Amino acid sequence: MNNRFVINYTPGPTFLHKLTGFTKVALFLVMTAAIISTFDIRILIPLLLINVAEVISMKPNYKPIIIMFLITFVTVTLIGNVMLFVVSPAAGLNNVGAEHILWQSGRFYLSKEFLWYIFVVFIKRTASFASVMAFALATTPSEFASGLNKCGFPYKVCTIVSLAYRTIPDIANDFINIRNSMMMRGLELTGKKVSLWKKLKNTVILLVPMIFTAFGKVGNIANAMDLRGYGKNKKRTWYAEHEASKGDRIVRILTLVLLLLTIYYVVMYRFINPWPAKFWCPWLQPEEIQHINIFDTLFFMKWFKK
Amino acid sequence: MEQKSFGEKLLGVWNTRTIVTVAIGAALFGVLMNYGSIPIFTNTSLTTAMIVPVVVGAMFGPVPAAVAAGVGNTIADLIGGWGMYPAWSVANAVASLFIGALPLYGAYITEGKFDVKHMIIYVVCVIIGNAIAFGVVAQVLTVVLEGGDMNVSLLQGVYASVGNILVECVIGIPVIKLLANRYASRTNLTEEN
Repeated sequence: MNNRFVINYTPGPTFLHKLTGFTKVALFLVMTAAIISTFDIRILIPLLLINVAEVISMKPNYKPIIIMFLITFVTVTLIGNVMLFVVSPAAGLNNVGAEHILWQSGRFYLSKEFLWYIFVVFIKRTASFASVMAFALATTPSEFASGLNKCGFPYKVCTIVSLAYRTIPDIANDFINIRNSMMMRGLELTGKKVSLWKKLKNTVILLVPMIFTAFGKVGNIANAMDLRGYGKNKKRTWYAEHEASKGDRIVRILTLVLLLLTIYYVVMYRFINPWPAKFWCPWLQPEEIQHINIFDTLFFMKWFKK
Repeated sequence: MEQKSFGEKLLGVWNTRTIVTVAIGAALFGVLMNYGSIPIFTNTSLTTAMIVPVVVGAMFGPVPAAVAAGVGNTIADLIGGWGMYPAWSVANAVASLFIGALPLYGAYITEGKFDVKHMIIYVVCVIIGNAIAFGVVAQVLTVVLEGGDMNVSLLQGVYASVGNILVECVIGIPVIKLLANRYASRTNLTEEN
């Protein structure tokens, strides 16, 4: 069961594992901001490659990662794009700004720009996936909490994060035990012939003991923390945060550079001198691009315009 | 019985107990996102995770519920590894603000108070919360942050909020009722006027 999780609870041996929590969290936050800030493939591809290189450098167990990637690919990319094609084939025009139609049949059509749009969104999602993977593989819960705290989050929020992370395997075990014992007593939860209403009712029966078991731990943990003086002072130090090494300084400088580049990019190319459409496209000149108001693209707007 | 101010009801009291409850709620949210879905057809399922903000909200108020859902969804994304969808984490947190608002209209679960009047307000809150969160917040954030298409994301939002409303009402109300009964049976104290 634990193979399904990519969370890392023990510090690993490679360069990225050995960085301090603050470095990892800062790198992850800046990387996420950089990926979110742009729709330009010329920037997304390098970001994707950096993150894939990070993942490879940690020599992870690839099996769960590949399974997750495939699940995400099927659910989000394949099914999502079929839906997109059915619901709004004009997504290419709306986001890229022009249309060169390749194939048409009734109200459905496929344009070059639609394919480009799908491709860019796929690259963006994959880059984000890779950065999440790199972060999840490199960071232990305590490092995550100490890093967040050093980034300026109040330490009570950080405790929530690390405590939640830490209790997940326990709660997952409890959940699986309760579910198995309930199913052994004949509670139908997944059967195909059971009606939805019955499934919902059975889920109540499953969830009540789950909630009591999970929240029953609260008293013990809270008392143990109180006894050790948790929450007495305004600040706290972290066991997981160690002195910055040489590698840390290098990565921190690189992170700062990435942050400055992101800010420069956003100010320069999203506000001062923006590309006329949302997505940059290699075969379009700025003059060819049409401006589309995003609210006009909503399918129900045409009902109001009659 | 001490009277709590509106702000205290909204924010909750952030002592160690609240922190641990929110953390465990977030963990439970993550686990239920990964394991606790109810299959309807192939490839579609209802997630039972949205029961967590209901319970946390019932015990501690809307802001702890929102934190539990937001952190829980982020962690679920991290362990489930389907990539980060910050738009949906924020939307879940916003929905949880409304769902977890039980103490604001007098449904004190820890004192065993949850009757028909509270149930009706609860259902209204659930519907409003889901409409705002998945109809507005998630859409705006998806378009701005992820460059997704609004039509598709709106359809997903409608689907998600219908599923959530179903789970939060059909599973949520019996669970709150049971919790309230359990708390009520633990105490034999009556309020004196």
